[in-house]
Amino acid sequence: MYNNVVSSVFNSFVNKDISCMRFNFRGAGNSTGNHTSGKGELSDVKACVDHLTQSLHFDRVFMCGYSYGAAIGCSTINYSEKIIGYCAISFPWDFMSVHYKEFSQSKRPKLFIQGDMDTVAPYENFMKHYNYYSEPKKFKIIEGADHFYQGFEEVISREVMNFYKSIT
Amino acid sequence: MHSVEKLFIHNNEVKLEAEVFQIENETPSCVALMCHPHPQFLWV
Repeated sequence: MYNNVVSSVFNSFVNKDISCMRFNFRGAGNSTGNHTSGKGELSDVKACVDHLTQSLHFDRVFMCGYSYGAAIGCSTINYSEKIIGYCAISFPWDFMSVHYKEFSQSKRPKLFIQGDMDTVAPYENFMKHYNYYSEPKKFKIIEGADHFYQGFEEVISREVMNFYKSIT
Repeated sequence: MHSVEKLFIHNNEVKLEAEVFQIENETPSCVALMCHPHPQFLWV
């Protein structure tokens, strides 16, 4: 969870005095367990949503995920009525099961951020995947950015924050 | 003054490392949840 993109977005929320949480999936950092290729990780996100809504009593949750975290996090959009929308940064549709595309379908607001130099989540396939999704939805192409967004962290954080404010 | 709190969230047999920044008395109560890439895929 200390990756450059996640940290930049997380810190932008902190700096704006907006409540936020980040976590490590099972098998990453100091989280226990082992990677399970999706099933366990989906339940990890749901456990975090439950913690936020049941233990900390938040009424609404805005989901934001980057790469694998976008595929898994955004796939829980319909888990709870309290999840109001999501932002997916470099959703890796082409190396994840099609199920994650189906799971992340929703009529709630969605923002997709994509670098035009991204070869991990290939830019050339972006619009094909984007067109699959229902409205309301938006996209932002970050010119010159590859999958790792070095030097583009502030741009991404600004886009996520603007979208968050537009739906809350 | 608010700060980032480190905690573990229990998900059955697994403990998930997390950080929470919580504004008390925030109305309406909305929180952003960040999901990161998995190091097994991207080494990040």
